[in-house]
Amino acid sequence: MPNEAWGIGASLLRREDERHLHGRGEFVPDIKLPGTREVAFVRSPHAHARIRGINVPSDAARRVFTAADLPRIKPIRVETQAPGTKAPLWPPLATDKVRYVGDAIAACLAPTRAEAEDLAALVSVDYEVLDAVVAAPRDMRGSRHPVHDGWGDNLFSERVFESGDIDAAAGAADITIQREYRMNRQSGAPLEGRAVLAYRDWRLDEIVVYASTQTPHTLRVALGEFLGLDLRRLRVVAPDVGGGFGPKARLYPEEIVLAALALELDHPIRWVEDRTEHLLTAAHTRDHHYKITAYADREGRILGLDAEIIVDAGAYGLWPQGPYQEAAMAARNLPGPYAITNYRCRASTVATNKAPLGPYRGVGRPGACFAIERTIDEVARALGRDPVDVRELNMVRPEQMPFTTVGGMRFDNGDYPQSVRLCAQLLDLPELRTRQRQGESDGRLIGTGFASFAEQTAHGAAEFVARGAAIVPGFESCTARILPDGSLVLMVGIQSHGQGLETALAQIAHHELGIDPVRIAVRHGDTESTAFGFGTFASRSMVMSGGAVARASRLLRDKLCQIGAHLLQCEVTAVRCADGVVQGPQGSVTIAEIAKIAHLRMDGLPPGVDPLLDATATYEPGIGTGVFSYATHGAVVAVDAETGSVELLDYAVAEDCGTMVNPMIVEGQIRGGVVQGIGTALYEEIPYDDHGQPLAGTLADYLLPGAAELPAIKIGHLHTPAIATEYGMKGMGEGGAVAPPAAIANAVRDALAAIGAEVNETPITPRRVVAAIKKARERSPQVRP
Amino acid sequence: MTAIRLTINGTQIADDVPARLSLADYLREPRNLTGTHLGCEHGVCGACTILVDGEPVRSCLTLAVACDGCQVRTIEGFGSDPVMTALREAFHRRHGLQCGFCTPAMLITAHDLIRRGRAASETEIRLGLAGNICRCTGYTNIVAAIAEAAVAAAKGPPDAE
Repeated sequence: MPNEAWGIGASLLRREDERHLHGRGEFVPDIKLPGTREVAFVRSPHAHARIRGINVPSDAARRVFTAADLPRIKPIRVETQAPGTKAPLWPPLATDKVRYVGDAIAACLAPTRAEAEDLAALVSVDYEVLDAVVAAPRDMRGSRHPVHDGWGDNLFSERVFESGDIDAAAGAADITIQREYRMNRQSGAPLEGRAVLAYRDWRLDEIVVYASTQTPHTLRVALGEFLGLDLRRLRVVAPDVGGGFGPKARLYPEEIVLAALALELDHPIRWVEDRTEHLLTAAHTRDHHYKITAYADREGRILGLDAEIIVDAGAYGLWPQGPYQEAAMAARNLPGPYAITNYRCRASTVATNKAPLGPYRGVGRPGACFAIERTIDEVARALGRDPVDVRELNMVRPEQMPFTTVGGMRFDNGDYPQSVRLCAQLLDLPELRTRQRQGESDGRLIGTGFASFAEQTAHGAAEFVARGAAIVPGFESCTARILPDGSLVLMVGIQSHGQGLETALAQIAHHELGIDPVRIAVRHGDTESTAFGFGTFASRSMVMSGGAVARASRLLRDKLCQIGAHLLQCEVTAVRCADGVVQGPQGSVTIAEIAKIAHLRMDGLPPGVDPLLDATATYEPGIGTGVFSYATHGAVVAVDAETGSVELLDYAVAEDCGTMVNPMIVEGQIRGGVVQGIGTALYEEIPYDDHGQPLAGTLADYLLPGAAELPAIKIGHLHTPAIATEYGMKGMGEGGAVAPPAAIANAVRDALAAIGAEVNETPITPRRVVAAIKKARERSPQVRP
Repeated sequence: MTAIRLTINGTQIADDVPARLSLADYLREPRNLTGTHLGCEHGVCGACTILVDGEPVRSCLTLAVACDGCQVRTIEGFGSDPVMTALREAFHRRHGLQCGFCTPAMLITAHDLIRRGRAASETEIRLGLAGNICRCTGYTNIVAAIAEAAVAAAKGPPDAE
């Protein structure tokens, strides 16, 4: 048996910690190579302009590179099989036109970043400024200067999802609720920005690219495609990565430019993004507009949902999935964890003169959750019912599983209503209701809000094929190699950047082989040492890579047993591998002894058995449409009706992610996700002015949640192991960030119930709260709290 | 270039630096002390926090030339300092770090809070961490780790300093 303190279900302390606690982590900016030149980019100050000319100082040849100097680079092209979509080409360095503030135009090289910026300041660009497209709902059907020439409109894609009979639902409804919601544009803002270091290795005849990326293997594929290089001539390494959260799971122009420069130059080059570049040019996220009409009966049962979703996707689609998945995911998740039978939704993805939108923890789901969960609360309020009860009433029940929603999501298993009840318990809802009735001594208004969701995780090929994706991240890989001394190396295609996968994957191998985790190394993030894999995103790595580790470990186990049985002079059916030994009826032999024979003393091998202990396996879960984690989040807020400030008093999560391999890491992921969701709910926003100028360029204008404004976050677990995955695991990396905007907005709504104010836009800033209160008081001036 | 003399992690150094070079860039590049991280370069995120003459400072907003004659201490310079040892142990045990990028500065700030006796309650610790952003953990475990280390430090041998 595996040691219970180390195997599946154990909160094994992390292997990653030691280096970081001593400042010995190795992030891209920490890597020093002799002769490295630093890169600064000339970037567009305009949202939309034609480039009439680029003037480079006469003495700056081979120090300033424009698109014309790097003809090898092909424009970024996103392929999609989805019908009715437009996919513009994106030159990594702008040629004729710039399409957002921060669009890269030239790369400038110098011994230090400061000198590179000095050089960039000497490059002048002659612009013909055009009208910027900044208001997606207004400009989607057309504008004076469309973002992309030759398009009649500004639409990347538009799609109608329809299921059931929405008109019949409207006819049968007792009440109709209509609302507009807005989840504003924000940044992913990992604490470490992007970074690239590239050089030419003449001995191996390859370009080596160190990048702060979540997806080293697919980055290599992209560099090969857009530079016209054989992949055998490209190595991508993601060393320590200081947070990713989605934005680092996409290809960026800078990565292509640095790799192209490495081909041209006889020294390494490095680009380390500063925070302003990050806020202007790394993938933005959210930026959803919703118009929802919900039809319900007098019990609060939702009969139908009619919706319009507009996603402001920015100027381009990021490779590989393009700009389309945000709106499609929002549309498919809008019906939430509910058994709604009639649904119609038009989902539009709009091109604007803003930075491209990309994935960020939760992708389309936080917006969809915000829209449906706010609507559930409004249905409850209109009927004078408790929102908790209306949630439970509409939820898919355990006995209905597996259940396919009107959005096409196939829920596998779980007790969704129980998560609502558990969350209410964690917050002590009856006690809160009493406190609310008594009122606060400081005059602030208390409110409680809930939000529930089901999260598709670890989806395989079926899901991505259905989306029309050209790249189908349906599996993960592991090469497991026992070395001559019996220690084990797991080489995996994912990338771990805070998720603790160096620890949790070792726990799985320990479970299968009984090898002490201290004797197991997990190698990831390097295309040279690992078989192809897609990387870490979409709450997939533990399920998919964990599954691959399990399979590869079992292949090794079979061979260990075969050799062990031979050494023990017994049948292979009579031995088993556990606790680091192969145990037979009359004795045992250690894995270390077998490993020695498999490498150094092949004369001890059974006839017909090859040397080496080395196995590669891939894994895709048994269900390609994903296994669903689910949760209910609850927030308690105090709102100051005069200043509009919102303080979070308490926050609880009741969740079910199936089998937890390392509960300590799971809870860390949940809490981290929740705080990012709180950032979306209350603080984080990148507004653009009418000319397409972004108004948050530093962390002084872009607020991230800090320790001082947060409560400790409570967590309660339910346990419904998945049927279709190894050990019953479900993915859970993103869920924490999905529900906080909805739960907090519902809590603010609850606090302001007596005033009749609601805030249906994130972040819920003091200004927006005050405006909502003012609007409510103008509507019904007699009401005073 | 301007000549400076300073002590970094106990070692005396004489160097010539450009007037505009930040202390963070000086430590990270010529001195190769890469445990000091840069998250925003505007003095907001706190990832570059180090000690100058015993006080926490933002090394991204401090010019290297301004540190002539100063004692600089980075995450690489705590050796077997008992408070730092207790903090490292507690961050490990309480899962107080994920990607590790904010961690060195978080430890230095926590060290300062404990040294000044400002880590007695959760509220006090949270306020004390207001200048250090962590994007991964949600802070709950960082706060718990600092509280635990503060207790351990109070019980253990006094700080060598």
